[in-house]
Amino acid sequence: MSDDDRTEQLGSAIETIAKEQKTLECAVSVRDYNSDFRFSMKSDRLFHAASTIKVAILLAVMKAVDEGRARLDAPLHVRNRFLSVVDQSPYKLDRESDGYPQLYKSIGRTAKIAELADCMITSSSNLATNLLLDFVGTDEAAKVLRDAGLSGVHLRRGVEDENAYDEGINNEATADGLAELFAAFRGDFLSKNSREHAIHILLQQRFTSMIPAGLPSHATVAHKTGEISTVCHDAGIVYLPEREPYIVAVLTEVDPDSNGRRETVAKISKVIYEAVTGTRTGK
Amino acid sequence: MSELDMEVVDGLTLSEKHRELLRPGEAVEDEHGNSHRLPRFFFSVPSWKKAYETRLAPHFKLAELMTVDCREADLLLNEFPHYVPCAVTLIARYLEDLRRDADAVVLVGANGGYRSPVHQRNEPKSPHCWATAADIYRVGGTYLDDEKSIAKYADMAQSLGPQVFARPYTKGDDHLHIDLGFITVTPRNCSEGLAAASPDVQKHVRPKTSPQ
Repeated sequence: MSDDDRTEQLGSAIETIAKEQKTLECAVSVRDYNSDFRFSMKSDRLFHAASTIKVAILLAVMKAVDEGRARLDAPLHVRNRFLSVVDQSPYKLDRESDGYPQLYKSIGRTAKIAELADCMITSSSNLATNLLLDFVGTDEAAKVLRDAGLSGVHLRRGVEDENAYDEGINNEATADGLAELFAAFRGDFLSKNSREHAIHILLQQRFTSMIPAGLPSHATVAHKTGEISTVCHDAGIVYLPEREPYIVAVLTEVDPDSNGRRETVAKISKVIYEAVTGTRTGK
Repeated sequence: MSELDMEVVDGLTLSEKHRELLRPGEAVEDEHGNSHRLPRFFFSVPSWKKAYETRLAPHFKLAELMTVDCREADLLLNEFPHYVPCAVTLIARYLEDLRRDADAVVLVGANGGYRSPVHQRNEPKSPHCWATAADIYRVGGTYLDDEKSIAKYADMAQSLGPQVFARPYTKGDDHLHIDLGFITVTPRNCSEGLAAASPDVQKHVRPKTSPQ
């Protein structure tokens, strides 16, 4: 099958799934390192990045390590006090809505940067995220993204910065932007050690009901999900033992009251897998 | 202090790199234009083991009042000996009294005791640079992150004596800051004369009363 035919069939399949699931918007970006096949659907549309932005912070942390500005084994003070990017007013995070509430027991003490990076990605801890962003600096992290050539990921603030949200200052990403971000973990932007460390963390992801759920059991995925009331995303690198990996980013905008949003991403992941590998996985 | 069995050093005799970071005896101005001299005499802490073994007061070990994070200068964070101003014993005494009055464990956070003048969370005029300040994050099971809890323990701390300053709550605070001001301690057999800094003079001084 030609790439054009694959593209047409995949686009049609994704549109059918999105329509059936009543998804308001759906954007997809695919890059296959095995065949050079690329697929884009609304891939330059900006979405609220939700927790996928944590991958950008991981990139900034690993770059800081490479440049000697941070050490993975260095202790960082754990505290729940952050300053809004709008007016520097302090705010704190809600323990109950954090993916890793155990970290709040460490308030006042220190945690290693490596542990915080792990919590930020595998458990999607908002506290770990803001601690690392506060340490690296939002401006510095945004500069790292620019240096990496990423134009589709906009890092502007920490998590739960309500003052910024009210001002319309949000972290945003396109499907192409997230695909480029994951590609940066495969290129030479980071040192080999930092690349391997970051990929290892991303492979330990605990939330597996989206991209991995649409794949055969022998697939492994280095990925990060992102969900708030109106968006549901997943993006990452899919590893299959028989071939080179592919990168996939699926971003959706949904009705806040809708059900089955994760299943939608899983179904899209499945048809992407079939298109990329030329196999059928059944229902 | 005589029971600490720890070497005391004159900061003016330390290596150039250490002196650049610790600025011993140097005058700094506070926000009111008042001048204060940074501490000159330090305990030389040879290891974390020693810091954990050393009790400044019955319930406060030296380690708790010298733990910093990676915002501290690499040399001061990662290499021993660590140097802690001798006045650290005084804040420990007041913390012990606060613990007694609160009848609960008092947790001083990381970066909450001594921080050097170059610590990124610091300004050189902060009493933390004198080791006479403590940031208290928790008392018993209560995190001090709201007005009510901070006010309660601020009152308790201030009742310990007029020399205790407890910072009132401001929006967003996540700890109670207390300090004793800009106190420096010169151990009995240490000289504040400049000769002590001469290369001919014994660099490291151990208080006469400390066990050998």
